[in-house]
Amino acid sequence: MRQLFAPGADALLRLALLVVSVGAILMLVVVGAVARSDYVYGVGVAPEQPVPFSHKHHSGELGIDCRYCHTSVEQQANAGMPPTHTCMTCHSQIWTGAPMLAPVRDSLAKDEPLHWTRVNHIPSYVYFNHSVHVTKGIGCSSCHGAMTSMQLTMRAKAFHMDFCIACHRNPQANVRTPDQVWNMDWSPPADQATKGPELVAQYHIRNAAQLTDCSICHR
Amino acid sequence: MPPLGQVDVPGVGLHRDGRWRLPADGEAAHAMIRERFAAAANLLHTPDRRHFMRLMAASLALAGLAGCDDDDPHDEIVPPVTQTEGESPTTVLTYASSTLLDGFANGVMVTTRAGRPLKIEGNPKHPWSRGGTDVFGQASVLSLYDPFRSQSVQFQTRDSDLSAFRAAMLSPLAQLRASGGAGFALLLGPLTSPSVMAQIAAMQAAWPKMRVFTHVPCTREAAYQATARAFGRPLETHWNLAGARTIVTLEGDLLDVGPQQVGAARSWAAARRASAASGLLMQMFAAASVPGLTSAKADHGLCADPDLVEALALGLLARTQGGSGPDLPEEAAAWRDAAFRALDAAKGASVVQAGLHASLPVQEAAQRLNAMLGNTGRTVLHTEPLQLRGESIAVLADAMRHGEVGTLLMLGTDPVYDAPGELDFSGALSRVALKIHANLYVDETAVYADWHLPMVHPLESWGDARALDGSAGIVQPTIAPLYGGRSAAEILSLLFDAEPRGGLDLLRAHWLDAPGGDAAERWRHALLTGVFEDGTAPLQSVRAVAGGPAKASPRVVGLQLAFRPDPTVWDGTWADNGWLQELPKPLSKLVWESAVQVSPALARRAGLAQGDVVTVAAGGRSVSGPVWVQQGQADGVVALWLGYGKRAVGQLSAGLGFDVFGLRSATDPWLAAGATLHRTGETRVLASTADHARMNGSDVVRIQHVGAPPVGDGDGEQPTLYGGHRPDDRAWGMVIDLDSCIGCNACVTACQSENNIAIVGRDEVLNGREMHWLRVDAYPVQDRAPASAAGDLAPLAASFMPVPCMHCEQAPCEVGCPVEATLHDHEGLNLMVYNRCIGTRACSGYCPYKVRRFNYADYSAGAAPSIVEQRNPDVTVRARGVMEKCTYCVQRIAEARAVSDRTNTPIADGTVQTACQSACPTQAIVFGDLAMPDSMVSRARRDPRRYALLGELNTRPRTTYLATLAPPNRGEG
Repeated sequence: MRQLFAPGADALLRLALLVVSVGAILMLVVVGAVARSDYVYGVGVAPEQPVPFSHKHHSGELGIDCRYCHTSVEQQANAGMPPTHTCMTCHSQIWTGAPMLAPVRDSLAKDEPLHWTRVNHIPSYVYFNHSVHVTKGIGCSSCHGAMTSMQLTMRAKAFHMDFCIACHRNPQANVRTPDQVWNMDWSPPADQATKGPELVAQYHIRNAAQLTDCSICHR
Repeated sequence: MPPLGQVDVPGVGLHRDGRWRLPADGEAAHAMIRERFAAAANLLHTPDRRHFMRLMAASLALAGLAGCDDDDPHDEIVPPVTQTEGESPTTVLTYASSTLLDGFANGVMVTTRAGRPLKIEGNPKHPWSRGGTDVFGQASVLSLYDPFRSQSVQFQTRDSDLSAFRAAMLSPLAQLRASGGAGFALLLGPLTSPSVMAQIAAMQAAWPKMRVFTHVPCTREAAYQATARAFGRPLETHWNLAGARTIVTLEGDLLDVGPQQVGAARSWAAARRASAASGLLMQMFAAASVPGLTSAKADHGLCADPDLVEALALGLLARTQGGSGPDLPEEAAAWRDAAFRALDAAKGASVVQAGLHASLPVQEAAQRLNAMLGNTGRTVLHTEPLQLRGESIAVLADAMRHGEVGTLLMLGTDPVYDAPGELDFSGALSRVALKIHANLYVDETAVYADWHLPMVHPLESWGDARALDGSAGIVQPTIAPLYGGRSAAEILSLLFDAEPRGGLDLLRAHWLDAPGGDAAERWRHALLTGVFEDGTAPLQSVRAVAGGPAKASPRVVGLQLAFRPDPTVWDGTWADNGWLQELPKPLSKLVWESAVQVSPALARRAGLAQGDVVTVAAGGRSVSGPVWVQQGQADGVVALWLGYGKRAVGQLSAGLGFDVFGLRSATDPWLAAGATLHRTGETRVLASTADHARMNGSDVVRIQHVGAPPVGDGDGEQPTLYGGHRPDDRAWGMVIDLDSCIGCNACVTACQSENNIAIVGRDEVLNGREMHWLRVDAYPVQDRAPASAAGDLAPLAASFMPVPCMHCEQAPCEVGCPVEATLHDHEGLNLMVYNRCIGTRACSGYCPYKVRRFNYADYSAGAAPSIVEQRNPDVTVRARGVMEKCTYCVQRIAEARAVSDRTNTPIADGTVQTACQSACPTQAIVFGDLAMPDSMVSRARRDPRRYALLGELNTRPRTTYLATLAPPNRGEG
């Protein structure tokens, strides 16, 4: 009787099995990488907003302090979004007729709030507190990037958990002096290796083990 | 020691010895499961292999989806147009206000965030509540958001609007004005508001022919009549127990749910603690026909039917007057004599209290006893009656039937549901030409009314109300009315004033016009503290008038029906509140339903088992309901609970339990004699949580006799093989004083409110899937029952034990978790990380205290948008497949930690208060930092009464207990 399988059949089977298993692993790797990619998280993409507000212009070029609009950043978990009234402190005087600002004027006139699209997002089971970070020497730009050079507001980081954890394990690398917290172009100075631990002690920042307690962020 | 409410199911040998013991053979086990866990019976049909594989494959394939985050990353941020300086939408604001029960105020602070009231906290500045809350106050925040509330004006059950109503009222009002209010009747629910009373008085002055009626299902009339007989005028009674040494309650409700609970319990706990410290324990004697919290907490209880209570009251009176009193059975005579001796030894420092539902002779005897003992003016205080007292609803029904009422305005009341059945109120109502009804819900009465107006919730309206001590509290709005609606004052103004005025206007007009003092300052003070200065009803000094209570009525033949307000839904006012429906009743632990409560002896005689449906008949009317057999209930007394069997279509409460108002009479609303009881042959599985979450252990509740060697654990620690969890800085811990805990459940509701705990419904409770993070177990305490009383007539002496997570230092649950979703942090909290949890439920199996709750069916999903608004934004809303449990209110700790970090100041003792702690009316719960040697909790932990629950397991719990106290000599004062 003729043999059903040619001598190379075994090799073919082995090859097929190898391709399938490698393919499966590769697929998992690719799916995982895509799922965690900046693309999926929308990093660098500016969503459409009712008013094309420019942080670069207001904060960078005009030099308006972050806290002029985000008033509760030093006191509360939430940094705070400016009420329409805040925009109109200046825009009732300048650019009063600009068509771009029509939604802001309408908001004040009709007493209807502006609906901004959220840019930076963390899951509902994560509780981030702005006030603790900025008072302990963690600057805005560490998470939000260089806002002063953003024409349209976009997400600078994906905010995976490892991004948070990396700093909670090693706050020395990112901690700044109080005057540098609002500096959007801050990069670790040359002596960060010696300055960092000093600042950590000065701010009474807890040790890494305590900072990585689950209850610090999750509840 | 099996928990209370534990009654063997016939034919199934479950926990006969107080332990889990499944029947050996499968059939019996199945029968047991069908019997006890009806909703789980379908699980008995085990799937075949293929079906099983299919399910497993499907769940594996879908498992990944469970990890998906369903938050919308691009949702909207909507900042306000204008904003007060220094505030942001996330700023927490608190308002001093009052929650209401039967019109009576309980002073509270309402926490709001982003304009939404989220949580009720106690108001320590309030003279009566002094920082305590009750279940109704805590749950009122859910009622506010209830989507089933009345939302529009209705004309003959069709939607209409306010302008149509006002137009329709023009000609009837013109007629009324012309005729001086002839034929106009105003029927009001329970009300203590001074401003509304003044408004009604003004109306009556202008319309002299109008008539005012009041309908209070939990009526205080007997108490007013008793004081009228004893002191010559009707009076309201409240108590100051500071320095008291003896309390005697006769059908008492001192600690039971009601307007008196918070203030009386606070005062009781403080006095009890102070007396224990002095070595002479304040003791409580309680004779009751239906066991309640007061009789359960008594040191010397007596199970007595209403006739015997009457004889005891008269006996005590006679002995105080130097006589001997009627002959009593030996045990009752012993109780009476012991109570008399204790009262006699504490003249001027004792209290005799009779509950609202005690008969008139008992109430009068109590008042006279207090006067004779010199308690009146010291521990027992009187003010003028605080509730508005109009003509009774019986008179109204009569007047309606005789065609004397042309226009009827029913404000904040639902008489078609809760008027005594013999009045046939709905029948009488049909004789009224114009019927206007206003209430929070489109209830039974709304259907009969021509016009129905939605009312506002106290959390969204201006108003005032008196607490039981006479202090006038403010009711502040904390949000704009969610569904339109108007307050009682606004509705009256709408009809009566030429130009309708708003609630704020009306309230300010009343209080700012009051003579004397700086009006603006008075208003400011009320806004800040919740109480109107100088607004308190003055204390009355009284003198007993000659006479005495009517002789005891002859013993009745047959059964007596005792009506009681339900401990979680009251008279039905709260029946639409899911938190309260799912709140286990303190003794029976029943949820979502009511039962016909009988004594064990009666059950045996009539061959009744738990859940047998019976028909109870009295006065030609009858109701059917399942039987609950309750230890401590007097033989021959059948207890029926108000507040169930509501029929309004489309409401949460519709169809739950059975309606007993039909059996009530207008003359004696609390007792109906000559009742009969018949089995229908049906049975119903009762949803009681008494069996759930049972712990296998001994020595669960410890009793410390005063003067005896300490029963606590002492300082020593058992050795352990595990490494110690040593805190780096803070060490959170809790101590719960079992002696102070009265089992009122305020902590459970507060926890539910604070921690976004889901309601699961009756079927899921039957499956044992209720989600409460904190439960209150009730255990019988044999030491507190008199030695002579035995068997069926033994009173129910109980100790209540709130059981939250113990936050064990050597936590068994952490060993069980395969993914480290439960683990310790450096401050000693046993954490539950929801986003890590994969739902193996191993931790729950490992937990000896059974405090972990598994979310089986995504109970929080699909809630109405308004209910979602109530949720605490600081606490994760848990999804399906996740284990959850008490966190020691970690969100409050985190907030305190953030403030401490920001300001570089340590967290002061008392800064972090858990929700259960701050809700507790008796301050039984102490929480704080054990690493701080002088913190309240550290001091409580050094109390010699302190012990660890299931301490033999050496889990080293951070939550520990103080043993309940008992007098040194049993049965003797």
